[in-house]
Amino acid sequence: MNKAAYAPPPSKATLGPIAELRNVSKRFGDILAADGLDLSIMSGEFLSFLGPSGCGKTTALRILAGFEAPTTGEVLLDGEIVNDLDPFRRPVNMVFQHYALFPHLTVAQNIGYGLRQRRPRPPRDEIERKVKTALEIVRLEGFEDRRIWEMSGGQQQRVALARAIVNEPKLLLLDEPMAALDRKLRKEMQIELQNIQRRLGMTFILVTHDQEEALSMSDRICIMRDGRIVQTGTPRELYDQPRNRYVAGFVGTSNFFDGVVESVAADQAQVSVKGGIVLAGRAISPVAVGQEVSVSVRPEQIRLERANAADRPGWPVTILNRIFLGEHTEYLVKHESLGEFMVLTPRQAELSDGPFNAGERLMALWEAGGALVLKQD
Amino acid sequence: MTQRSRNLLLLAPAGAWFLVMLVIPLTVVLIFSFGERGAAGGYVPAFTLDQYANLPARWAAFKNTLILAPAGTLASLLIAYPLAYYLAVRADPRWKTVLLVLVIVPFWTSILIRSYAWIFLLGGRGIPALLAAIGIEDVRLINTPFAVLIGIVYGYLPLMVFPIFVNLDRLDKRLLEASSDLGASPWRTFLQVTLPMSLPGIATGCLLVFILLMGEFLIPAILGGGKVFFVGNALVDLFLQSRNWAFGSAVAATLVILMLVTVTAYMRLIRRLGAQREDVALM
Amino acid sequence: MTKDNDHISKRKFMEELYRYKRGSVTRRHFLGVTGLGTASAVLAAAVPALRPRRAWAQGDIGDRVVLATWPNYHDPANFEAFTEATGAAVDVNVFGSNEEMLAKLQAGGSGWDVFVPTNYTITTYVGEGLIDPLDAARMANYDASAFDPRFAGPGIVDNTLYAVSKNWGTTGYAINISKNDNVTPTSWKEFWDMTMDSFSGRTMVHDYQLTTIGNALKYFGYSFNSVDPAELADAEKLLLDAKPHLFAINSDYQPSMRSGDAWMTMCWTGDGKQMNRDMPEIVYVLGKEGGELWSDFYAIPKGAPHLDAAYALIDFLLTPEVNAKEALFHGYPVADSRVNALLPAEVLNDPILYPAAELLDALEFGAAATLTDPNRAELLARFKSA
Ligand SMILES: Nc1ncnc2c1ncn2[C@@H]1O[C@H](COP(=O)(O)OP(=O)(O)O)[C@@H](O)[C@H]1O
Ligand SMILES: [Mg+2]
Repeated sequence: MNKAAYAPPPSKATLGPIAELRNVSKRFGDILAADGLDLSIMSGEFLSFLGPSGCGKTTALRILAGFEAPTTGEVLLDGEIVNDLDPFRRPVNMVFQHYALFPHLTVAQNIGYGLRQRRPRPPRDEIERKVKTALEIVRLEGFEDRRIWEMSGGQQQRVALARAIVNEPKLLLLDEPMAALDRKLRKEMQIELQNIQRRLGMTFILVTHDQEEALSMSDRICIMRDGRIVQTGTPRELYDQPRNRYVAGFVGTSNFFDGVVESVAADQAQVSVKGGIVLAGRAISPVAVGQEVSVSVRPEQIRLERANAADRPGWPVTILNRIFLGEHTEYLVKHESLGEFMVLTPRQAELSDGPFNAGERLMALWEAGGALVLKQD
Repeated sequence: MTQRSRNLLLLAPAGAWFLVMLVIPLTVVLIFSFGERGAAGGYVPAFTLDQYANLPARWAAFKNTLILAPAGTLASLLIAYPLAYYLAVRADPRWKTVLLVLVIVPFWTSILIRSYAWIFLLGGRGIPALLAAIGIEDVRLINTPFAVLIGIVYGYLPLMVFPIFVNLDRLDKRLLEASSDLGASPWRTFLQVTLPMSLPGIATGCLLVFILLMGEFLIPAILGGGKVFFVGNALVDLFLQSRNWAFGSAVAATLVILMLVTVTAYMRLIRRLGAQREDVALM
Repeated sequence: MTKDNDHISKRKFMEELYRYKRGSVTRRHFLGVTGLGTASAVLAAAVPALRPRRAWAQGDIGDRVVLATWPNYHDPANFEAFTEATGAAVDVNVFGSNEEMLAKLQAGGSGWDVFVPTNYTITTYVGEGLIDPLDAARMANYDASAFDPRFAGPGIVDNTLYAVSKNWGTTGYAINISKNDNVTPTSWKEFWDMTMDSFSGRTMVHDYQLTTIGNALKYFGYSFNSVDPAELADAEKLLLDAKPHLFAINSDYQPSMRSGDAWMTMCWTGDGKQMNRDMPEIVYVLGKEGGELWSDFYAIPKGAPHLDAAYALIDFLLTPEVNAKEALFHGYPVADSRVNALLPAEVLNDPILYPAAELLDALEFGAAATLTDPNRAELLARFKSA
C-alpha cells in the first residue's frame, strides 16, 4: 500500500485546531437546528457527532462543508474565518449520507472528479495514479470501469469514501456513512474506516446516531441534543463522567434511580429515592440539597450474590429474566422498592457463583464508587 | 388466462389504434404514391415511378423543412433549457406550479390566433418600428424564414420545456452539492453534472419538437406569408388545391422516410451518448 | 339569434388584436381554410338549447337551415329577421375556397341546404350531379327580368335554372399610392414591373391559382383563362422572377395593406372598397388588359335536408329590401336592378363597385376548365414551393 501518497499535509493546524465552531447557530424558520455550537477540532483526530435523529448533526456538518451559512457565530478552518467561503473553495470533503455518487460516471471517473476540478489541472497520469491508490485503500482494485449502479451498497460506500479521501482534504466529513449497510458489513467498515483514518492521518468528523459506532471509532465524541452540544469528550470520559442523565443514557446503558439530594459532602451525595431508600453516589458536577437528580449505576457495576453476608449492604432482588450473551449474561431483576433494573455479569463471575435462574432470589450489590449522581439535564 | 394472452389483451387497444391510425394510412399512401392523378383530380391506380421522379419539383419545400426543422428544434432548446432550469431548480417551490401553468397557458389558445399576434409584432408597426426608433431602419421580419423560426420557437416552447423540466426536477440536488463539495464551481457543476444528467429530457424534447416540425404547415403559412414553404404546405396544396393525390402521396411517403432516417440516426446518437448512463431509457 | 354570431365575435376579437377600425373582411378568408369558422358553426348547431323557438311561420319549414358561404358575406341582422319570421335558425358554415366546397359536396353528407358557389364552378356541380335545379315558383321574390344577364347567366345551364345571382365583383389590385408619388397605375404590366422594382418586398399575390396565374397571363396580354402550355410557361417564368420580390403569397391581404407592410396586392372588389373607405391612399385598380369578373350564386345541393327552409331562405335573401341591407353590409355589387334602385347614389356611382363600362368589358369570367386544370394547379404549387 502506497502510504506516502497520503502523508498528512503539513499544516499549521498541528499547532492549533484545524477547524473551529465559535458560538455557531443556524435557524431554519422556527427551528433552531444549531444552537450556540462551540467546538475545536484537532488535526488528525477522529471526532463523532452523536445524537438522536433531528438533533442537528447534519446541520453542523453542512455548516463546516459550507452548504449552510451560520445564522450567527464563526466557522474557522486552519485559523481563518470561512463563513463566506463557497463549498467548492473549502479544503473539506464530505461523504454524503446516501453517497451522492454521479450515476453518469464510472467508478474511476467518480473518484477522480475532485482532482479534475483542481486548477491547474493535474496531469492525467497523476490523476490515474491517485485514483488507483484510492481504490486500493478502499479495496476496490479492478472496479475502475464499473458503473455506479453495478456496485453493491457497501461498494458504493467505499467509492464515496475514495472519492473524498483522494483529494486529501484537511477535514473529511462523513454523514452517517454506514447507516444503509447491514450489521455485519457495518462492523467491517467501521474497522476499515478507522484503519484508513489512522493510516492517512486525516481529520475525520463522523455523524452517527449509533452510540456503539461512535464509542468504538472516535477519539472524541460530541453528544448533541436539540441543536446543542451537551458534552464533548473521549469515549471513556463520557462513559465514566457523563455530565447528565442524558449523556449517561446515550453512552452505554445505565440504571437510573430518580430522587432528591438529601445531603452533600465534597463530591459525595446522598439521594433519597423511592420507598424511603437512600442511595449514595459520586456527583460528577456539583449538586445542591433538594435538587432532583438521578443515581446512575451501570449494569456491569452490579454484582449478584446468592449468599448474603450480613455485613455487606445489598438489595434483595428477584430475577425476572436472563439473557445469555456469551461473554456476559444480562439479568433483569426486581427490587420491591427500587423497581426493575439490569445487571450484567461477566462469565468469569458466573463460573464461581452462577448461573442464576429466573425466579431466584438474590442480593444485588455495587461499590459506592460505581454509583453516580447526575443532574436530570 | 395465461400471462401471454393477458399481455396480448393489454396490447390490443394500442395495436388496433396503431393499425388503424398508422399502418393502414401509411400503406394507402405508399400504394397511391405509385399511381397517377385522375383527369378531375384524385387517384388512378397504376404502377409508375413518375411521382417520385417529379420530387425535385418540391426540392425547395424539402430544403426549407430540413433546414428550419432542426434549426427550430435547436432554437427552442436554447430558449427552453434555461427556462426549464429556472423552473425546476431555481424557482420558489411554492410558485413552481403557477409558473408551469403560465408556460402552458398559451396552449389554451389556438396556435392560429397566437401566430396572428406575431404577424403584428413582426410586421412594420411592431418590432421593426421599435428598431427604427433607435435608428435601425427598414428591418423586414414578417414573411421571412426568421419569422417562421420565431413562430416555431414560440409555438413549440412548452413541448420542449416540459420533458427538460421533468428531468431537471427529478435531478437529485445532492449530486450538485457533491460536485460543489469536490471543488467544482457552479458553472462547472452545470457542465459536468446537470447538463449530462438532463440529456434524456433534452433528447425527448428535441425528438418531440423535431418530429412535429417536420410536418408543420400552419406557422410557415401564417408567418412565412406563403414564401417560406414547408413540405407540409406542399402537401396541403397537393391534396386540397391541385388534388393530385398520387404526387401528394409520393411527397408524403418521402417525408415519412426522411423522418424515419433522421430519427433513427438521432436515436442511435443519443443511445451512444446514453450508453454510459444509468437511465438508459431515454425515450 | 343566428349562428353567425359566433363567427362575428371571433372577428371582433381579431379586430381588437390588430386595432383595425373596421376589421378585415376578406372574401376568401384564411379562417375558412383552417376550418375555424366551420368548427364554431357546427358547435353552435350541436347545442339545441341555443336555437330559438319558432315564433311564426307560413307553413312549417322546420327549425333550422344550413348555409355554406364565405366569411363576412351576410348581415347577421337579416338572419335574425329570418328566424323571427319563420322559426328556422340559420347555421352558417364558412368556407375558404371553391375547391374545398366541391370536395365537401363530393364526399357527400354535407348536410347543407343552401350554398354559395362562384360562377365557374356551376357547370362542374351540374355535371357531377351535385346540385338540383331551382323551382322559380317557390321563390316569390325571384324576378329573372330584374337581373343583369351578364352576371346571372352562369346560373342557367342547358336552359335550366340551377343558381340565382347573389353578388358580383371584379379582381383587380389595390395599391397604396402614397408609396408611388401618388401616381395610380392602370395596368397589370405595371403591377408586375413595379413588384420587381420600386415595390420589391411590398407586393402580395393571392394564394389562388385562378387569379394569380390569370393576372400573370395578363402581363403578356394572354387570356385570363389560358391553359395553353406555352402561355402558362411565360406566366410561370414571370411568377418565379417575381417571387423573391413578393411580400407574401396570401389571400388575406387586408391586414398587411392596412399596417403598411404591404403596398400593393391582388384584390377583390369588396376588400378594395373597404380599404379605400378607411384609407383613401389605397386605391383599387382594374388592369386595362383585363382580368377577372366573377359572380356568386345561391344554389341548393342535391339531397338538402331542409328543402322548404332552403327555398324560404333564398327567397327571403332575394327580397330587394333585405338584399339591399346585405349589400350595404358587405359592400359587394348586386345584379338585381330592384335592389340597385334602393341603394344610395354614392354606392351606385362608386367606380370601385361599378367600374366604367370599357374596363368591365375587358374582364373575363373565370372558366370551369381554368379552375380544374391540373397544369395550372401544379404551376401554382411549383411557384409556391420554389
Ligand atoms: N434546509 C432545512 N430547512 C428547514 N429545516 C431544516 C433544514 N435542514 C434541517 N432542518 C431541521 O433542522 C433540524 C436538524 O436537522 P439535521 O441537522 O438534519 O438533524 P440530524 O442530522 O441530526 O438528524 C431538524 O429539525 C430538521 O428538520
Ligand atoms: Mg442527518
